[in-house]
Amino acid sequence: MTEYKIFEGCVIGNRLPFLEASSRKVLDKVGIKTSQAPFACCPDPTGIKSFDNTAWLALGARNICLAEAEGKDILSLCNGCTNTLRGVQYQLKHDSHKKDTINKELAKIGKEYKGSIDVKHFVDVLKSKLDSIKGGITKQMSDLKVACHPGCHYMRPAEWMESDDPLRPENLKEIVAVSGASVVDYDELALCCGNAVAGPFPEHGDAILKQKFDSIKKSGANCIVVNCPACFQRLDGEQRNLSKTYDTEYNIPILYITELLALAMGVSSEEIGLKNHRTRRDTAIENL
Amino acid sequence: MTLPLGIDFEFRKLIMDVHVSSDKIKYCYQCSRCTDNCPVAAVANPFYENIFDPRLIVLGTLLGYKDVVMALAGTKSAIVPWGCTVCDTCDTVCPQGIEVTEIIALAKNITTGAGLAPDNIVAQAKAVFENGKAIPSQPAIERRREQLGLPAVVAPDVNEVQTLLKAIGADKKL
Repeated sequence: MTEYKIFEGCVIGNRLPFLEASSRKVLDKVGIKTSQAPFACCPDPTGIKSFDNTAWLALGARNICLAEAEGKDILSLCNGCTNTLRGVQYQLKHDSHKKDTINKELAKIGKEYKGSIDVKHFVDVLKSKLDSIKGGITKQMSDLKVACHPGCHYMRPAEWMESDDPLRPENLKEIVAVSGASVVDYDELALCCGNAVAGPFPEHGDAILKQKFDSIKKSGANCIVVNCPACFQRLDGEQRNLSKTYDTEYNIPILYITELLALAMGVSSEEIGLKNHRTRRDTAIENL
Repeated sequence: MTLPLGIDFEFRKLIMDVHVSSDKIKYCYQCSRCTDNCPVAAVANPFYENIFDPRLIVLGTLLGYKDVVMALAGTKSAIVPWGCTVCDTCDTVCPQGIEVTEIIALAKNITTGAGLAPDNIVAQAKAVFENGKAIPSQPAIERRREQLGLPAVVAPDVNEVQTLLKAIGADKKL
């Protein structure tokens, strides 16, 4: 059986470990084996890449080297990490000058980037296991009306990610549908959560997030499903603030796709630490 | 604010070099699909100091007008280039396949060299330099991981991370 090197990333590993708990449960249940490696920060495609692109390439390539040494593909639990590792691969494979530059730096720590392994987003791995997922579902989920938010870096830039339609993504919706929950469409499906701009310019980040939530509210969804920890933090953590800023009530529960699947597979909410969410869970989820 | 428009050929060359298919940039015909689809441009205030316009950034870099892209950086109301939220929508809709986000990333890189990066970006870079992780391990989270039955996060080799960042010279921007 294929074994992946699991890349939990800084946000999940060191801030939101409950997202890793549900992810590991679901991977187990659908028969995907993983092992750990001493990966450093991916690093952040919106942070370190903006700070210094060469540093982004070098640190990303170094992480890939660790997986190459074991001859195993990487399975990432985060949009940002996947985006960085795939983006670094793309740039190094399409630009021999960049590859030579980075390998000269890597030689100083006794490493060489070869480009011999693949980096996979967990959603893509789950999508290849739809039958196993279907077979594991034990709970009735039809009360959930789910608005999907796959997040920018799952599918853009399309040349790096090769995962889904960059403006009309379908994969997350397909997985949600397999869980038995119903998928609700909304206009702003492909809109960003505004995480990167919210650092230096919070008011712009808020305005973008408001558009997203308004569009979801209009759709009649009672839950949002995401597959990125940065989006999760924005969508789960900012609703109270947004309600105050715009004097409108935003109170819709957010689930990681692996939380939805784990619950549908009969895992208890305690086992996956669902109480750590900021936004109150509504009865639709509480009753599962 | 008046913009001192001077052509900076060095800046122009940097932009051409950073693009994976460098000559694509030359074929920008200013159709504005990038700006029309930019979520930040859509919510930016209609006041001059707050505009965020990817089309203008591409034009400015193409012509070597470094100031169009950089002059406002670091002033309190300036949103260029750090207003970019890195959603990569402009890259997706560009009919010429121009990697607009890469161009903006280079502009951001230049501001960090000049000590004009936003605080949260510098803080993240510092955390990565010091811990190998953007978010360092904390005892409370380690306990929570244990309660959830998760294995401890395997610690990265911080020495290697620091050696690389020093070799590149990124440590000098911290």
